[in-house]
Amino acid sequence: MNRKILTLCLVCLPSLLKAQTPDVVIYPRPREDTKLAVVDFVARTSDTQEVQAALRTFDQVLWDDLEFSAFFEMPSKSFYPLKPLRSPTDVNFDNWQVPTLDVDFLIFGNLQVDRGFAVVEAYLYDVRTREQVLGKRYTVSDDTLIQRMAHEFADQVVFQLSAGTSRGVARAQIAFSSLKGRSKEIYVMDYDGANQRTITANGGLNKFPQWSSDNSKLTFITNLPRSSRWELWIQDLDGGRRVLPLPTSYVASPSFSPDGKQLAFAAREVNGSDSGIYIADLDGGRLRNLSNHRAIDSSPTWSPTGRQIAFISDRSGSPQLWVMDTDGSNLQRLVQEGGHCDSPDWSPDGRFITYSWQPSGQWNHQIYVIEVATGRIFQVSSGRGSSENPHWSPDGRHIAFQSTRTGSKQIFVMNADGKNLKQVTAYGVNESPAWAGYVVTEPQE
Amino acid sequence: MRRVTLHNLSWFFCFFCLLTAAACQKRPPPRAPSPAPSRSGDITRDQSAGPLPTVTLTASPSSIERGDQTTLSWTTTDTMSLLIDSGIGNVADNGSLVVSPRESTTFTATASGSGGEATASTRVTVVPRSARGIMTSTDLDGLQQAVEEGKIQPLFFDYDQAGISADGERVLKENARWFQQFPDATIVIEGHCDERGTEEYNLALGDRRAQATKAYLVQLGVPAYRMETISFGEERPFAPGYDETAYRLNRRAHFMVTR
Repeated sequence: MNRKILTLCLVCLPSLLKAQTPDVVIYPRPREDTKLAVVDFVARTSDTQEVQAALRTFDQVLWDDLEFSAFFEMPSKSFYPLKPLRSPTDVNFDNWQVPTLDVDFLIFGNLQVDRGFAVVEAYLYDVRTREQVLGKRYTVSDDTLIQRMAHEFADQVVFQLSAGTSRGVARAQIAFSSLKGRSKEIYVMDYDGANQRTITANGGLNKFPQWSSDNSKLTFITNLPRSSRWELWIQDLDGGRRVLPLPTSYVASPSFSPDGKQLAFAAREVNGSDSGIYIADLDGGRLRNLSNHRAIDSSPTWSPTGRQIAFISDRSGSPQLWVMDTDGSNLQRLVQEGGHCDSPDWSPDGRFITYSWQPSGQWNHQIYVIEVATGRIFQVSSGRGSSENPHWSPDGRHIAFQSTRTGSKQIFVMNADGKNLKQVTAYGVNESPAWAGYVVTEPQE
Repeated sequence: MRRVTLHNLSWFFCFFCLLTAAACQKRPPPRAPSPAPSRSGDITRDQSAGPLPTVTLTASPSSIERGDQTTLSWTTTDTMSLLIDSGIGNVADNGSLVVSPRESTTFTATASGSGGEATASTRVTVVPRSARGIMTSTDLDGLQQAVEEGKIQPLFFDYDQAGISADGERVLKENARWFQQFPDATIVIEGHCDERGTEEYNLALGDRRAQATKAYLVQLGVPAYRMETISFGEERPFAPGYDETAYRLNRRAHFMVTR
């Protein structure tokens, strides 16, 4: 019954788009909205121009990170008491509990730049109990690392105040593909678009990057200049690389298994005429086809358990979302709504798959989320242009995607319910964002 | 030395004209009777005539890799006209010619004189190239030129389709003639899509278009090993713009020549 209503809603969606705001909160929220104040940090000793610039960067990044985390209600700074807070002894907690503010937690601290070293002391206080929750002192050898300090502290705050629900996404980097002239290279950046750096510079086309589970490698496809084939590359971030040997000129959408030992990808079947789903070891061994079917099967993504693959197949007539076990069994079609689906990405907790969908009769894609167990579908992006290639944040509370809503293809991030939309790239053509996951550290023996 | 590619018809025509002209100008002088028997070939004897012509024909080397050349040499006596088959035509009484047959070929020279007719045959064995990718620059340059002159047309597809239309079939038949004319050039078939739809699906769709194009050309007799395919999805639009006019031009299979 629910399913029917949803289907109906989806059919009506185009006309309702303007009025529609997704009312479904997908991610776990704190029990009640936590009210957080983030006071501008102050210079500890000398208040030079250099220190002022560093403070502006730190304050802005920290505020943006905490706001984007979507865990907090953050009252405007204009309501704050004027007295600067350099250290815990400066805090008068009564001033933070007046009715206009009434915050639960308070962040403040100081910054110092000394002979190239930047030092930040950052505090998180529980205003009700007046106890210190976090006290951190960060030292970096270069004031270009001030953003990283802010990200680090923001993630610590999120981890503490979400009771471990999230470890924060501020330090998790985003890999993407970016057009420079006629070549398309792989880049990595902070989630807010800062600190872009190149991973490839081969002058060819490099597309569809995905991280390994330990974030030490990226896999993507490459068409070198003057070559008439696509290659599957595994690139170590510290320089080494491997090209998976494949007997076909078409390969796409590689992704690492959660245990990091295998790759799933789309490739043309040998002696076939269509794309199929394959799994192979990282050296190309044990290559096997999971979808021996006369249809385009593409865009595979692993479930976080590594036991299932979600993928796109047009065997029913148009590209739709399907799932199967990693041995090819238990095949089922997940989305029944017609139109075109593509680019599924399984949420880190396994409950949801985000994908892009273009309803029949329309030319633009939007980002959708389906709850795997129930088949409930939520539209999470709307508006102008085509929005494609969604990818979950490591805590499953956000989605990065590309959209042409501002003209050219650019990368955006948003909450998994579509709120808090933020454009993170602005120049050139940027696509296929892949948010690095959390590295699961093995327990020490 | 002159080089002849047997499948190059225009070359051929020139050759034929030249040789015919040469044959017309140079009448063989009357020869002294010779009792020497022919050293090879079949002999037919006309009772009322002079001595039998003789003819020899050799190919060196007699076995070549496809695309390589061999030299045909011949000698005759008591001959008024000499004809070599397999498309070579009338030639001078004594001479040589560099040829590059595509397939194994038996060449037969037929000498006619007042005393009758004699023939000599030699076989040139053509084996496939041992290593792919080595090709005569003649074919490569010839096809490259045809591409540059716009003689090799792209073919266009319907939205989200990889089927070859009637128009497409016509284009491919024309293209296949060019490809067969330059049999040693390798062709790259690029599959392209318009910008609608997603990148991953379009990359697969472009590959399907390139594969469909290749399969059709194979049916038309272009060997599969001569064709490479690659999909560029929506990466390399031919026409800018966001309307059907541009989209139609971008949904295409495009041909390139490669070394």
